[in-house]
Amino acid sequence: MRRSKMLAVALPLAVGLAGLMTTTVFAQNLSMWVRESAADPGKLMVDLWNQTHEAQIELTAIPDNQLVTKLATSVRAGDAPDLISFDLIYMPDFMRAGFLADLTEQLQADPNYETHIQAYKDIATYEDRIYGVGFTPDVSILVWNKELFRQAGLDPEVPPKTIYEIHDMATQIGALGDDTYGFYFAGSCPGCNIFVTSPLMVAGGAHILPRNGEDAALEGDAIREVLDQYRQMWEEGLIPEAAEVDAGENFVSAFTAGNVGIAGTGGFLLSLMERQFPDFDYGVTLLPGLEEGQVSGFVGGDVVAIPTGGANEEVAREFVTWVLSDEAQLEGLAKNSILTTRTDLADNEYFAGNEKVQATAQALEAGYVPWVFRFADMVNSDSSPWINMLQRAIFDGDVDGAIEEARARMLEIASQ
Amino acid sequence: MTDLASPATNITTGTTDARVVGGSRAVGYLVGALCLAIIALMLVPLVLSFLASLKPPAEAAAVPPEYLPRSLSLENYRTVATYQAGLWTYVANSLVVAALTILFCLALSVPAGYALARYAIPFKEVFFLLILASMMIPYQAMLTPLYLMFSSLKLTNTHVGLAIVHTILQLPFSVYLMRNSFEAIPRELEEAAVMDGCTSMQILRRVFLPLVLPGMITVSLFAFISSWNEFIAALIFMSRETSFTVPVMLTGVSTGIFGVVDWGALQAGVIVSVIPCVGVYLLLQRYYVSGLLSGAVK
Amino acid sequence: MLSTNNKYVGLLYLSPALLFVAVFVFYPLVQLIMISMTSESLLGGGEFVWFDNYLLAFSDRSFWMSFWFTVRYTLIITPILMILGFLLALLTMQNRPLAQLTRGVVFLPVVIGLASSSLLWVWLFNQQVGLFNKALVDLGVIEEPLVWFNRANLGMTAVIVSVVWKVVGFGMIIMLSGMQSISHEVVEASMIDGASYWQRVRKIILPLSARAILLATLISAIGSMLAFDQFYLMTRGAPRGQTFTSVYWIYQNSFVYFKLGYGSALSIILMVVIMAGAALQITLQRRGETA
Repeated sequence: MRRSKMLAVALPLAVGLAGLMTTTVFAQNLSMWVRESAADPGKLMVDLWNQTHEAQIELTAIPDNQLVTKLATSVRAGDAPDLISFDLIYMPDFMRAGFLADLTEQLQADPNYETHIQAYKDIATYEDRIYGVGFTPDVSILVWNKELFRQAGLDPEVPPKTIYEIHDMATQIGALGDDTYGFYFAGSCPGCNIFVTSPLMVAGGAHILPRNGEDAALEGDAIREVLDQYRQMWEEGLIPEAAEVDAGENFVSAFTAGNVGIAGTGGFLLSLMERQFPDFDYGVTLLPGLEEGQVSGFVGGDVVAIPTGGANEEVAREFVTWVLSDEAQLEGLAKNSILTTRTDLADNEYFAGNEKVQATAQALEAGYVPWVFRFADMVNSDSSPWINMLQRAIFDGDVDGAIEEARARMLEIASQ
Repeated sequence: MTDLASPATNITTGTTDARVVGGSRAVGYLVGALCLAIIALMLVPLVLSFLASLKPPAEAAAVPPEYLPRSLSLENYRTVATYQAGLWTYVANSLVVAALTILFCLALSVPAGYALARYAIPFKEVFFLLILASMMIPYQAMLTPLYLMFSSLKLTNTHVGLAIVHTILQLPFSVYLMRNSFEAIPRELEEAAVMDGCTSMQILRRVFLPLVLPGMITVSLFAFISSWNEFIAALIFMSRETSFTVPVMLTGVSTGIFGVVDWGALQAGVIVSVIPCVGVYLLLQRYYVSGLLSGAVK
Repeated sequence: MLSTNNKYVGLLYLSPALLFVAVFVFYPLVQLIMISMTSESLLGGGEFVWFDNYLLAFSDRSFWMSFWFTVRYTLIITPILMILGFLLALLTMQNRPLAQLTRGVVFLPVVIGLASSSLLWVWLFNQQVGLFNKALVDLGVIEEPLVWFNRANLGMTAVIVSVVWKVVGFGMIIMLSGMQSISHEVVEASMIDGASYWQRVRKIILPLSARAILLATLISAIGSMLAFDQFYLMTRGAPRGQTFTSVYWIYQNSFVYFKLGYGSALSIILMVVIMAGAALQITLQRRGETA
């Protein structure tokens, strides 16, 4: 205890001195963890910071399925890294547990925070205190294959604007041949579907996940409608058979293979396409709902936060502030074709003229993120009520029974 | 290969009369061919892994793959050597934990075996059974209370902490083995020492220790191999990237280094993790198998 | 006995080990039972909930799915290991150099870590760079590389292949020791009677090494019921959570979903089941011996 108090006094002093002096005597290394699947953009940001700052950050990628465990166990042991970038969906659990440093004063005083994407503000706030900011963003979108649209006699510049239009257009594309399919979704991947299927429901006015045992769960007609349209498309053979067992392996490659007309995907697809399939002719739009004009998206990606008990908290706080700066947003994110997390910078020189990125940026602004505890239980686990509902409704054909069962189990989990 | 064939490294589990099997010359050839086929089948995975680790990274990632490398390179080993905190950090962690496990096992089991074999202790067999009983409790089930305990004692992320868990795993067997080793020593030896006026500590050190050395080697060998290879406890107890052991580090490599799984580097890691075990096994095979049998059969 | 010494000296020598077991085995065991009756979270907090966790466990479909998967895995792999182990032991019984070399090589993977061998095999099974897949294609067994970890049964098959490779030598050694304790007189007597090789195997070797076989079965079965490493590293529970084993599901609940209390209750259920199974097997074995 005494040591940490001394540190608390000494650290700001040291940092202050380091700021005044130009020597590297006080420069220190910060440790930062990032989950494996967000390591690429995370590394771009950290490299940029390291180029322009004296305190260097050492980035460690941790396998996705180990990151939250390691974060929890290391905070408990008082041995956490200085900074952590993790799946935003775990924010509520960690905030409630008191594992993250309170950043409220610092962020409220920061003009850049005002234009921060609302979904990130929501997910990182607990009982009016703020514990993190969006770091490397992502959001779900709808993509369509313009070449197949042309072949099917559809206007390649007009995407579907409702779930019913998705079904209609998929029918026309499916008619092109045995090997061509109208629609795709990864049928055994809970995470993929909360990402690309739930926004269709949310856009249609549905409420998906309960915050506690008394909250509504799976409320709204849109849930039934979306599941039923999926079921019909599945039964009509508009979706490849392999979709049923896809646990995420073909979530991306199914569309890039070129024989699928319409699919939900994430903003990450854009840079992947640029690199691997620069000539692929496709369009990007927001995920629609039941009626024209209804749109949504699932805001994903990583947040950055400071675990409590780190030795370099002051510098870590500087990093959080820096993440929202123009430099980080434009040179770290936008320049690398990654979305910015500030709405006022969505219109920047790097995105100018790129319709796809702009559509994605709109999705980020319109998007939602569910603020719930135990997201893993309710959604991400391989036997979650969420994935069971999709599978029972779509592949077994029992839409109402599936919703009923999932609702009961979600409420059971939420009330624990 | 030739190492394996030399008599010193063979598994010898006693002598068996050839007549038990018998058979004609033709059968003999058939048996020989079968043996060779089995040897090949068992070695192929390791050999392929070793060869893949020596491929240049691009070749190791080639689709479709080829069995043999076209050219040799140590690039994969360089990749794992600099992976995160550096392979040597992880190897050192694993070695330190294994060394501590050996130390703990010996420090606890040698005196316990001595006492159980040579002293009249009230409730002796009850105590012995209590120690053995812990073998019946799967340690996988005990990880949560141990984790909470170590977390409050600040023993997570420490070599000592993980070594204690590995000692829990090995202690029953070690005590059992040491008791047997002490019991196998003729009583005349210690009686002579008692006549000479030695204290019990002196007897233990001068008379017994040299004689139970083979048992101690077996205990150490098992402790080393089980500690070096143990995975789930290390996965839970070591949360800092600088405190990972080799198997935990390998899971990181297997899910990819910044996005792409580097198969060549993974196999290089596998080979590095396999070498110490295979090495000590080939060197001390005799102790390993005798330990296994004395632990298992009686 | 060192009668000149006080018996408490002996207790003194024994006490470190006893203390260790008390502190690191029995105390945590009591803790485990206590935690299993709380809603303790890895993120801190939790309260006493009596037997709620146990009640929940009995209606937790996922837990029972993982449990029956583990049982199925155990029931499939144990006979394979025992039969192959027995045949290998028969084959390598003689102390001829080649037989001894075979023994040594078959036993070699036993000392390798399960994590290492799983990561070796996950590579061999990979649909793109995996050489096992390529070998099967080259041998004409399959037409194109399989995606092994996409289907529960294929995934389990892959795990079984890798685990058999790794531990078959263990059963072999145990059974060899059983066979080698058979007295020569018995064998010679049967040879005089003109019994054929397989008759001898069936009538003499098999019954007389029954103890060793049962022991090896017990150890393998318990090990399989506690399987974790191979599934965590190879199938990762996919697809649809169909390849979670009990220990994996307990780990998942305790350390990924943060539910330490619930995970502890599952641990106790599993522990009781395994102990009951082991006790049953030992009783049956005893009865068989005395009969």
